[in-house]
Amino acid sequence: MTPELVVFWLLSVLTVASAVMVVSTPHVVHAALWLVVTLGAVAGCFLVLTAEFVAWVQVLIYVGAVVVLLLFALMLTRSPASTTGATSRNRPVAAFAGFSTFGVLAVVLTSGFRGIVLDLDSQPDQLGGAAPPERIGDTRSVGEAIFTHWVLAFEVLSVILLAALIGAIVVSGRVRDRDRQEAAAGGGS
Amino acid sequence: MNEFIAPTVEYAELSPLLIVLGAAVVGVTLEAFLPRRGRHRIQVVFTLVALVAALLATGWVAAGLDEVEGASGRGLIAAEGAIAVDGPSVFMWGVLLVFSIISVMLFAERRIEGGVSAFAGQAAALPGTEAEREASRQGIEHTEVFPLVLFAIGGMLLFPASNDLLTMFIALEVLSLPLYLLCGLARRRRLISQEAAMKYFLLGAFSSAFFVYGIALVYGYAGSFTLADIHAAVDNNTGSTNLLLAGMGLIAVGLLFKVSAAPFHAWTPDVYQGAPTPVTGFMAACTKLAAFGALLRVFYVAFGGAQWDWRPMIWVVAALTMAIGAVVALTQSDIKRMLAYSSIAHAGFLLVGFAGAYGGDGITSLQSVLFYLAAYGFSTIGAFAVVMLVRDPGGEATHLSRWAGLGKTSPLVAGVFAFFMLAFAGIPLTSGFTSKWTVFSAAWAGGAWPLVLLAVGMSAVAAYFYVRVIVLMFFSDPVVDGPTVSVPSLFTSSALVVAVVATVVLGILPGPVLDLAQQAGAFVR
Amino acid sequence: MDLDLYVPILAIGVLGAAFAFFSLAASWLSGPRRYNRARLDSYECGIEPTPQPIGGGRFQVKYFITAMLFIVFDIEIIFLYPFAVAFDSLGWFGLIEMGLFILTLVAAFAYVWRRGGLEWD
Repeated sequence: MTPELVVFWLLSVLTVASAVMVVSTPHVVHAALWLVVTLGAVAGCFLVLTAEFVAWVQVLIYVGAVVVLLLFALMLTRSPASTTGATSRNRPVAAFAGFSTFGVLAVVLTSGFRGIVLDLDSQPDQLGGAAPPERIGDTRSVGEAIFTHWVLAFEVLSVILLAALIGAIVVSGRVRDRDRQEAAAGGGS
Repeated sequence: MNEFIAPTVEYAELSPLLIVLGAAVVGVTLEAFLPRRGRHRIQVVFTLVALVAALLATGWVAAGLDEVEGASGRGLIAAEGAIAVDGPSVFMWGVLLVFSIISVMLFAERRIEGGVSAFAGQAAALPGTEAEREASRQGIEHTEVFPLVLFAIGGMLLFPASNDLLTMFIALEVLSLPLYLLCGLARRRRLISQEAAMKYFLLGAFSSAFFVYGIALVYGYAGSFTLADIHAAVDNNTGSTNLLLAGMGLIAVGLLFKVSAAPFHAWTPDVYQGAPTPVTGFMAACTKLAAFGALLRVFYVAFGGAQWDWRPMIWVVAALTMAIGAVVALTQSDIKRMLAYSSIAHAGFLLVGFAGAYGGDGITSLQSVLFYLAAYGFSTIGAFAVVMLVRDPGGEATHLSRWAGLGKTSPLVAGVFAFFMLAFAGIPLTSGFTSKWTVFSAAWAGGAWPLVLLAVGMSAVAAYFYVRVIVLMFFSDPVVDGPTVSVPSLFTSSALVVAVVATVVLGILPGPVLDLAQQAGAFVR
Repeated sequence: MDLDLYVPILAIGVLGAAFAFFSLAASWLSGPRRYNRARLDSYECGIEPTPQPIGGGRFQVKYFITAMLFIVFDIEIIFLYPFAVAFDSLGWFGLIEMGLFILTLVAAFAYVWRRGGLEWD
């Protein structure tokens, strides 16, 4: 057992245990906080698997932003003090769905990847031709892959962000006072 | 460290896509800085100009496609392998842009609501409150719909042309996100509109998750996102078959959700009913086209070598989709829900074509499906445009009983609607007949004859409820104080004229468009 | 990749956790347990707590805009990070593409600004 493997196992156990807490705690805010632990532990797993950049994405986007949005969504729809609602009569069905998904994925993934060893020292690069083998997964090789092979996808991504922001304004925004004054001055246009 | 080589991006070949997405960003800027008065008019003109420019660019790209050596298709792989600009892509781009132009004309309609568009004045206002009434009194309206629909169109152009799964996923999100939003913006019946948006968003996000998990598993199998590499991996049988099967299944779930095939169709009736009617028409024609294009590309190009694994699945889904669509439509009493189930049934007929032959001398599955999508899109946008016109004081008169006797009070509108119904039913001399014919013959040639027999039977069931609407309109007495038929502006009337003419021409003289679909040839790897 | 780089980070994390644990344990062991009104009130850095809004403490929708803005710019930064790391080799092409990306988000920002999404009334 290498030290990396020990760390990986510890983090995996932490991931699974906190994920169980996410779905079993009756308090929704606690569930969101346990989710922070889960996602953080997953970030640690990525790090040990040499996917350095992905690990930091996980921390910044998921632990940082997504959980915040999740908490906001909870507090926009209910009082933070309320403890009800995280449990429902569908619990057995949900548990069944969760366990069967786990079973199927466990079989598929272990049968698919068992015994496959990626030799990081001689692995041909799979990120699009830019990175030499010793840099797989680090931030520089990801940066070069984004700006060569994935440049179009990258630009289109900005459009998703733009559309999302417009959506947020349209769904939640009020008509601004400036618009109101114009409307009052000119009637319908 | 090796030298960084700037990627080549074929801007000329990608120009339709770049025009639409660029115009969408400019549209947002216009939205930000233009005064409210006159914003609507400028947005409409700008959007239409951008779409026409993209259509012209598509024609120019289509004229310049080169033969690929050693393959049957024409075209090229652009943008470092992210996009395949080939015959089917360009054909779909052209048809999509034509549909989009018609849809945007319906979006722009303001006369039938008395000077405002069909979109909510203030989506954030609680339905039935003073704030909402005030917004509509002042004639405030969301003109953001035009940039949003441009975003959706950009995603739809990219979706069926994506040559790798990652680009395809991003395109899926670009096309879905604006649509979720547009569904929730109906001016009338705000609550079911919001419910539609919510339902579509949640289920859509769920299906996207399936799709992306499938991509991950297929990447694990093939070690690449590119469709050609996946094809090679399938041919060489490199990895674990379990991974491939699970990945294929999950990708199929994501795509079949978008084409509203059973058992992933549950969102369709609610969303089609709740969304503003121009948006429903747009979704029924354009989303279906884009999603079928992507479905065909992924399964023919990437998974073609594993077709004996996925073909039975498609058979079952096709049979289920036709049956549910046709049979459940019989029980509907709302015209928009009925059209939604009809669109599910048509997705089933399209899947029959998908299950057919994709090589050979005659018309291939791909070409027949492309033709069907083009023909169906015109009729469906037209049918929803008619639904926009038949109105009660509180909005559109969507309950079927309100349409009784419409043929006696407004023979022209009822006649046009009846014509679209006949086209849906597949009566000869309409586009519905020719398109069903091509799809079924492609499926027959591919040995899917049991499916074709079932499809013919389901067509008969479907014809029953289409004809029932016609009978209701022409052979029953008009309801007392029945709905009025609004006189639309030039936008809706010209959109309707285009839809009717296309449905007639594709029925009587399908040759040119069929040739065009056949010239589109095959996918390029 | 060399994970040795992360040993100091891990050490700081352990130190932080130990400090938090020690503080909590120390106050639990040594502190008096007097539950009065001030003790049970929400702690807002020593100032008087804002009264709970009507409706049982539900947030106003303007927080949602803030969260969305945060997410969008968070994602932008995520892309700036590999760009910055690989900047020396990406050259003008990378700069132009990044500029386009940011320009698109500036359009979003301008829209939010003109719609009053940045005002806090």
